[in-house]
Amino acid sequence: MASNIDMISLLQSKFGEKIQIQPGVSGTASIVANNGLHHDVLAEMIAADEKTGIVAMTGLDFGQTLGVYYHVRTAKPFFTIKAEVPKADPKIRSVVDIHPGARFHELEVTDLFGVVFVGNEYDGHFVLSENWPDGVYPLRKDVDPTKVKLVPTPEREANLPAEGRQVKIIIGPQHPALLEPEKFSVTVDGETVTKVEPRIGYVHRGIEKSTESRTYLQDIYLVERVCGICNPAHAYGFVGAVEKILKPDVPERARYLRVIALELNRLHSHLLVLGHAGLEIGYETVFQYFWRDREPIMDLIELTSGNRVYGSLITVGGVRRDITAEQIPKIKSVLNDLRGKIPFYRKIYLDEPTIRLRMKEVGILSREDALKLSVVGPIARGSGVDIDVRKDIPYEAYGEIPFKEIVYPDGDVWARMNVRMDEVEESLNILDYALDHLPSGPIRVDVARSVPVGEAVCSLEAPRGELFYFVKSNGTDMPERVKIRTPTFANIPSFLKTAIGESIADIPSNFVSLDPCFSCTDR
Amino acid sequence: MTDTKTWARVKSPWVLHFNSGACNGCDIEIVALLTPKYDVERFGIKLEPSPRHADVLLVTGCVTQQCAERLKRVYDQMPQPKFVVAIGACACSGGVFAGNYNTLGGVDKVIPVTAYIPGCPPRPEAIIDGVVKLLNAINPPKQKKAVEA
Repeated sequence: MASNIDMISLLQSKFGEKIQIQPGVSGTASIVANNGLHHDVLAEMIAADEKTGIVAMTGLDFGQTLGVYYHVRTAKPFFTIKAEVPKADPKIRSVVDIHPGARFHELEVTDLFGVVFVGNEYDGHFVLSENWPDGVYPLRKDVDPTKVKLVPTPEREANLPAEGRQVKIIIGPQHPALLEPEKFSVTVDGETVTKVEPRIGYVHRGIEKSTESRTYLQDIYLVERVCGICNPAHAYGFVGAVEKILKPDVPERARYLRVIALELNRLHSHLLVLGHAGLEIGYETVFQYFWRDREPIMDLIELTSGNRVYGSLITVGGVRRDITAEQIPKIKSVLNDLRGKIPFYRKIYLDEPTIRLRMKEVGILSREDALKLSVVGPIARGSGVDIDVRKDIPYEAYGEIPFKEIVYPDGDVWARMNVRMDEVEESLNILDYALDHLPSGPIRVDVARSVPVGEAVCSLEAPRGELFYFVKSNGTDMPERVKIRTPTFANIPSFLKTAIGESIADIPSNFVSLDPCFSCTDR
Repeated sequence: MTDTKTWARVKSPWVLHFNSGACNGCDIEIVALLTPKYDVERFGIKLEPSPRHADVLLVTGCVTQQCAERLKRVYDQMPQPKFVVAIGACACSGGVFAGNYNTLGGVDKVIPVTAYIPGCPPRPEAIIDGVVKLLNAINPPKQKKAVEA
């Protein structure tokens, strides 16, 4: 496994003066590789380290040129490969041929910035709505997208027989199995799925653009509303990136309180999807049981943050609310109640025949494919890839808290759900440890309202997998660019692959095993 | 006959949930209504997957450009009389996303709304309260005659 020093010296010996490497903090480095070299640099990194994957791609507008940043994950540190293309002729070589997981990232940059990736062209819109005019790219700085006049147009596609025996079935945007509006066109031959085409963008609200016209403090509340389920993770992602530029001295107690907020969130999110999976396979008892036991956790979130869903606990410089000594025994007794129920639930997910019939050997994603598509979170860990940001790049107090990284080698729906089941127990352990070892002291420091010029990335393990934030500041109190790469966005390609060749009846259970969240995907 | 119809509607309203670009906050709270702690089925409220069988449309979200047409279509498919409840700050007015390039801002920009439930997200109790108020508006409870002293 290549360490960070190896990678930098390897690239230097290979490319020499043609690329510029600027080492950053804690092992990160940015690599300026223009004139098509980004492709070769990435190929070299993939050859050197099998865990290399594209975490996110950020488009930027520098005025005369457009920037494309490839945020690359290796076994440990982060690298950013930077490339620039002239705005007049924004063409760049696609990296899909060496890393298929980059496909969606490139399409998104095409749609929002107008960069053409040679080798991965796309006809139509990817995240923008169908009626969005061609040639207008909302995230470019010289475009005021609110001035664009749109008239809602009817959707074009209908249920039509495809060639021969093949039939196209459209799932969504309003469908009983989907809580959110999103469309999947599934082509079937008999009952076997031969093709799945997604159409995302039904929940695209333009959050990345609107962060640029709000202050950092307002942005925390805005980015939390990317997702109503994993909102503390989004708040931390943004705050973490801003704090890497501002460098405030975050108090020790706040670092533990943040872990408590993030783990309570993971607990309720995992219970939610473990129940929801039951609903999707027609096992409603499981759904009712898990959601019944999720409610006490929601009460704890309300107790610690002040609200059931949007607590807005995490802020730049610390947290906004403390946990008092009287609250700790109450929190612990609720957690203990849940711990007592775990063996029963574990038995359901391990052995129950209904679960095994619908989940075992369904939607198998091999380890190689998981790495190639750079999937994250429980999907990757269910396929035997041991990536967990909490272990790989410990943030906040995670480096001091002992916990196990859960990995199942099977790669099927059953493995992914059992990863979550085991993580519920690990979350309880982390919470117990954090509550026992809560340091004393202040919970927040004052920070400046304006952020100096700089750029930073922050990645963290949200309930659905690695969540990635990129913040570029320009010295004012508003950010220049905020990029959000959410876990579901990274995981959808794996569904498109695993659904093929299986029965159409397996689509719900396969799909729910991603724990899909489209409000995250579309932003 | 009309009385019987109103009675049936109020005693067992079938609701359809449509997400027009919400962040999942309100949506999860609606699903939580069906679970043991809140259990709205005790009021006869049933979550119904098809618009053709629904009496009440619960809409969440700020109505994105891409969803607007579909929201209208779902509304048109519902049989008369139909009621629309806008749940959450986004559905009421666009909320934090008002003025963004891809959102219309509020359900009432596309279809008529009968009741608004504000909150980000509204608590499950607030949603129950809103729906029960809507039912009372459809069929006002009979006032008991004041007993003269």
